[in-house]
Amino acid sequence: MIETIAEQLVNGLTLGAIYALIALGYTMVYGILLMINFAHSEIFMTGAFVGCGVLVLSSFLPPSISLLLAFTLAPFICGVLAIAIERFAYRPLRRASRLAPLISAIGVSIVLQNAFFLWKDDFLPVPTFLPAGSVQTIIIFCSLLMMIGLWLFVNHTRLGQAIRACSQDREAAGLMGINVNMIIALTFFIGAVLGAAAGVLYSLNYGSIKYNMGFVPGMKAFTAAVLGGIGNVPGAMLGGLILGISEALGAAFLPEAEWKDVFAFGVLILVLILRPSGLLGERTAEKV
Amino acid sequence: MKKLLLIAAAFGLLIGCKAKSDSIKIAVALPLTGDIASLGQGLKRAVTMRIEEANAEGVALARSYVPLPGKIELVNFDDRSDPKEAVSVANRIVSDPNVVAVIGHFNSGCSIPASRVYAQAGLPMISPASSNPELTNQQLSPQWTGPKSIFRANTTDNVQGAYGADFVFKDLQAKRVAIIHDKTSYGQGVAEEFKKKFEANGGVVTAFEGLQTGDRDFRPLVTRIKGTNPRAIYFGGMFSEGGILIRQIRDLGFNGYFVTCEANYDPIFIETAGQAAEGAFVTFLGSPPELQPAAQEFIKRYKARYPNEVVKSYDHYGYAAASFLVEAIRWEGRDRQKIIDFLHKTSFDSVLGKTQFDEKGDTLNKTITLFRVANGEFKPHKK
Repeated sequence: MIETIAEQLVNGLTLGAIYALIALGYTMVYGILLMINFAHSEIFMTGAFVGCGVLVLSSFLPPSISLLLAFTLAPFICGVLAIAIERFAYRPLRRASRLAPLISAIGVSIVLQNAFFLWKDDFLPVPTFLPAGSVQTIIIFCSLLMMIGLWLFVNHTRLGQAIRACSQDREAAGLMGINVNMIIALTFFIGAVLGAAAGVLYSLNYGSIKYNMGFVPGMKAFTAAVLGGIGNVPGAMLGGLILGISEALGAAFLPEAEWKDVFAFGVLILVLILRPSGLLGERTAEKV
Repeated sequence: MKKLLLIAAAFGLLIGCKAKSDSIKIAVALPLTGDIASLGQGLKRAVTMRIEEANAEGVALARSYVPLPGKIELVNFDDRSDPKEAVSVANRIVSDPNVVAVIGHFNSGCSIPASRVYAQAGLPMISPASSNPELTNQQLSPQWTGPKSIFRANTTDNVQGAYGADFVFKDLQAKRVAIIHDKTSYGQGVAEEFKKKFEANGGVVTAFEGLQTGDRDFRPLVTRIKGTNPRAIYFGGMFSEGGILIRQIRDLGFNGYFVTCEANYDPIFIETAGQAAEGAFVTFLGSPPELQPAAQEFIKRYKARYPNEVVKSYDHYGYAAASFLVEAIRWEGRDRQKIIDFLHKTSFDSVLGKTQFDEKGDTLNKTITLFRVANGEFKPHKK
């Protein structure tokens, strides 16, 4: 019994770590632009595809180097892609009504999904060379490392300070001499780097990728961001972990395992009733 | 005034178009996008090929007195494996009076609700893959008011589920089994048929659990099921979940048997599962094209027509369904009811071998083939 619970906790932690990484992308963009970047789940998918492509192309190299390549190239390419998306799909709409960039984001998401669909309409296997048990450990370890890195970056560097300033008040930050456009692009870049890294980890964990793979984790990560308080960086991490673990425990103890999502979303509803702005969210009336 | 005239002219043009067209259409309703789009696309290719061949031969009429256009037109619809979408597609199909028959749908969950729409319109439908018995059984219910217009080229899950249950209980000697299904009409249907037969044999079902299609993480579910100590796990669902499921089952250290149904007979199942697929058992409805002697010529032509594609495991069913309809149209013309009667009374020779439909439209050919995965391939397995 104890063993089962421990195994379930590891399952939940792995899942939660991935949710948390994706949730960071949602939450950072929301923090600055008050916009839900629905294309983020497709960045995650693109990251998985690029990572898988790198693994296949570099299969002649030793596994550790080829993994390292995948973990640097996929986030970098996706980061650049996210900057391009921001520049061409969101920036022109920044002064439009709040719904306009949202719709634009959904459009970008559909375009990206269909681009990959045209290229490959089925599952693609991911080369495996990691022993089965080690993948979960690697995922938990890598995500924690990245989250700590992000936390340090946001709180202890000048650029991080600029990001925080922009999320407090974009116009005032601009008046203080911060290049707001650059900071927004940087936020998209960082969010995409984390999302793409999550995509690579995810594909290693499940062994296959597909053009529509981003949808479910994207939804869950968005939920995690709301659970933790959208706009709040530690909140996204906490929300992801709580969601992952409650899913695993729900599957373990409810009368039917298929109720795990009911349990996870039940937790969300409960939290939102008690704390409408999420676990760590600030009580600001306008960020509804 | 000028404007009015223009509008009137435009309307006239529209009406003119409508009155002129008297083509014969076959509607194809399949999942062309979504999780199992590759199977839908394969079937669509097979059907298209058969109709192209028929048009090249010329649809000469042997008996019909009604003059017919020499060509059959295909109209393709995408149901995205979604029952709601399937019904809306069905409504669009029945609104076109030139459609004489439907090939589709793929998923039982789509076929069953859509079949009611077709039956209301008296439109014959041949499913090339749906295997839930309910699809044709519903026609026997006293509430059924339409004609018996539903047919399917493949055999059904009560045959397949029972075969799997006997195999696990008698041949593998596994008396405790955990069952996982994907909550669709197909997956849950076949899992329930398995359960019924397995319990009738005297076996113990330690767990009967559903998973969410489209999900990728089944570890919490597998950990839970492992705790009930089964000797074998049976999965009712599609390869899109099956491959990932067996991988996670083996990752979590379950060493018992894994047995599943024909929707996992797809190379993608092995590719996504990798090493974990080894030793998995898969039952298949009928015989897959490569093992069907009557389908060898079909495979050759398919490869010539689509050099960049592989033959998917249901493609010969689609090709056969199209053959039945071409045959029916040749004899009976465009009359929907006559096509239905023709399908009921005729014995067909096709890439499936012999096909004869019983009174509710199920094929009398009830072969099941058993496979075992070995060295990354499906190998026919003798019990």
